[in-house]
Amino acid sequence: MATAAVKEEPIEEVDFETRFIMLCQASPEGITDNVIQKELPQCDTKQRMTIVNRLLSMGKIDLLKSGSKLLYRLKDPDSASQVKGGDNQEKLVYQIIKDAGNKGIWIRDIRFKCNLLLTQVNKILKNLETKKLIKAVKSVAASKKKVYMLYNLEPDRSVTGGAWYSDQDFESEFVEVLNQQCFKYLEQRAAAAREAKSDPIAQRNASFTPLEDVWKYISDLGISKVQLSKEDIETILNTLIYDGKVERSLVAGQATASGDGYVKLYRSVQPLIPTTGLMRMPCGACPVFDQCYEGGAVSPTTCVYMKEWLEI
Amino acid sequence: MTRRQHDVCRFLLFQQFGEQVSVVGKYLLQKSPSPLHLISSETHLDTEQVKKILCILIQQNIVTFGQHKRGFIEYSIRTGEILNRLWFPKYIYCAKTLYGDAAELLLEDVLQRGQVQMSKVIEVVMQRFNEALETSGKQKISESFVVDKFSNLVRTHFLQRCLDPIKSESNKVVGLEVTGEEETLYRLPDLSRKRKKSHDDGPPAKRSKSERPADDEGDGIFWRVNNERFHQMFRDQAIVQAISSKIDRSAGEVLRAMLRVSEVKTAGMATVTTPISVTEIFNALPKDLMARPLLETYLSLICDDSTNFLSKVGDSGGGMYSINIYEALAQLVKAHIESVVQERFGSKCLRIFRVLLLKKHLEQKQIEDFVMISAKEAKDLLYTLFSENFITTTEISKTPDHAPSRTFYLFTVNIQHVASMVLNRCYKALYNAMVKKETEVNEHRRLLDKQERMEAIAASVEDASQRDEILNTITPSEQEQIIKVRRTIQMLDHSELQICEGIFILEMYLMYFKQRQKDKS
Ligand code: SF4
Repeated sequence: MATAAVKEEPIEEVDFETRFIMLCQASPEGITDNVIQKELPQCDTKQRMTIVNRLLSMGKIDLLKSGSKLLYRLKDPDSASQVKGGDNQEKLVYQIIKDAGNKGIWIRDIRFKCNLLLTQVNKILKNLETKKLIKAVKSVAASKKKVYMLYNLEPDRSVTGGAWYSDQDFESEFVEVLNQQCFKYLEQRAAAAREAKSDPIAQRNASFTPLEDVWKYISDLGISKVQLSKEDIETILNTLIYDGKVERSLVAGQATASGDGYVKLYRSVQPLIPTTGLMRMPCGACPVFDQCYEGGAVSPTTCVYMKEWLEI
Repeated sequence: MTRRQHDVCRFLLFQQFGEQVSVVGKYLLQKSPSPLHLISSETHLDTEQVKKILCILIQQNIVTFGQHKRGFIEYSIRTGEILNRLWFPKYIYCAKTLYGDAAELLLEDVLQRGQVQMSKVIEVVMQRFNEALETSGKQKISESFVVDKFSNLVRTHFLQRCLDPIKSESNKVVGLEVTGEEETLYRLPDLSRKRKKSHDDGPPAKRSKSERPADDEGDGIFWRVNNERFHQMFRDQAIVQAISSKIDRSAGEVLRAMLRVSEVKTAGMATVTTPISVTEIFNALPKDLMARPLLETYLSLICDDSTNFLSKVGDSGGGMYSINIYEALAQLVKAHIESVVQERFGSKCLRIFRVLLLKKHLEQKQIEDFVMISAKEAKDLLYTLFSENFITTTEISKTPDHAPSRTFYLFTVNIQHVASMVLNRCYKALYNAMVKKETEVNEHRRLLDKQERMEAIAASVEDASQRDEILNTITPSEQEQIIKVRRTIQMLDHSELQICEGIFILEMYLMYFKQRQKDKS
């Protein structure tokens, strides 16, 4: 086909990929670069590299060294063959862990599922770990709990906790700082809107800020070491909604990459009432409220809180 | 009625009517209804005394009576009426802003006497008003001016007729009733006939129960203040204020106009006002406030707002709108409660509390995820809220044995429950403030009296140096003390008022809530 006189349509990378895999399948011992070059002459070096990288990262092929040459070999789709040399128990445990996916599985549940003794399971796990077939990940859900998953998997957010966790510790302060910064930003937008527009509707609309803008603002601030996603910012904005400081409104817009066709708008809002009267005097938050009565050890006439408050 | 409210009631009775009345009041608070002889024997006061006290309390609308089926008369106390006394200053202020100084005096007089004939109040008000005008060198007012104000107050239902007595065969009054339609409560006597100069027939306050002057040119009619009408007014004010602070002043004005229009059309306890058209609202707005397009803008703005105060119910007449009174009160109550949570437990607790308000039922894990607080802290805060009864749990068990490991614990907020709890706290705080104020005043009574006396004397002397001399009898240290005490009293006064505002909203909401329960069942 290389000799065809007709100018060829550029073959899609995907096509190369399938051809590449077919080649590998043809020779289970592995293929070298040379073979590929010969069989797929249209595919230049750069394209080849991307394909190899892709397949590697997807875990479809292995990279081996034979002598001075690199050898690509298709990974055996039958996972059990991964634990060649391992006995059946090992295979069983491997299978259980594989089924758990990137959420991982707890050692107790492994035992429960395979019906082996704890010592046995421990040994097998250790084996698999040294073979780098599986790994242990600490879960944020419980600090002492370890979950196991296949070595090449990226742990799920529910295990690592995403951006809000560093070493299984929830970063409350980080969340609070972001919470305040988001609010500050929305406040600024609202203040600007109040100044610029006189029409109440225009004013309200101008104070509505899309999620996108908040996200950009926070990213530009550079307070976060990790890259925060839009979803992360949305979680933060949600806490502001729960705080009662911000309201959200969904507006139908052009479908974005996230796909739901809604634009999420946020704006800071004014409270309905000032602090309620009860809390503006000491009794509101008094720790000995229930023990306080006339003639008692604490009473309104002798109360120190009252006294302090009245003397300010 | 809870103990906290009783405390406040007793205190108010004591403060306004003295020791003995408060003794009778206290007894009735516990044992209503009671016949005369029981009251007197239990309180160790002699019958005549008790009779007099009851007379006063009936006159002040605090005590009512009815016939027991065995024939004797029983007396019961109305706690609501006593607590309403907290609002009297507000009633008066309200009358003043609506109808001016003469109405202020009118209301003051009616409130002071409880039940009163029209001619009596008018006479008193005329006198006081003219005295004041005379000293300031202004022209006197005519009687018809005051009569007008009175009629205004009646027409707008701020004043109403007292109930008519029910008489037994032996011509004894055995109870009170509304005769005829509710409207008759607001019917003014025929004023076209020239009234006789009112004759002096002793203090009107001691109205004997069995004999009443015949319906003579309206003088047989007794009038009193219609508390509910004032409360409705305050309720509306609270709604208007809330929207003003949430959106802006003009939005508040729009709601105010709507409430004014609906006032006459909507039944007393309706949870939603009757629909009002844009045209009606526009006509009710103060002139030059806004053009019609802007009004329409505001209406849709208030409708869109998360507060849900207003909803569009139809399209005729340029759009029909109605105000959700119940919804508005619910929002306001939540705002008050949230404020309590915020100030007492901090903003993180408020976040948890509001998540529960928004999502109704949640498991602990879900709450932690929503509020973005570390699991340990969230657990702590949840427990705090739980132990202070701001949140409750529901158990849902997968198995009938309710084993903890197979049971879900869902957290939730019961807003009525929290509202009555906060209300109780308000009453106690109010009581504490009142007690504190009382002791402050008593402790420094001599000093305060002295100052007042000196100032009164100083005001009456002409000579400047003499005046200084008199004022100087108050030493600087005393002066300092006085300033401090006055400030203390003022602070406590102020905080009483603020607490009362919270109480008002909470009471209103609970009242509407009960009403709604009743309507549903
Ligand atoms: S009077 Fe003092 S001790 Fe009593 S409840 Fe109030 S603050 Fe607490």
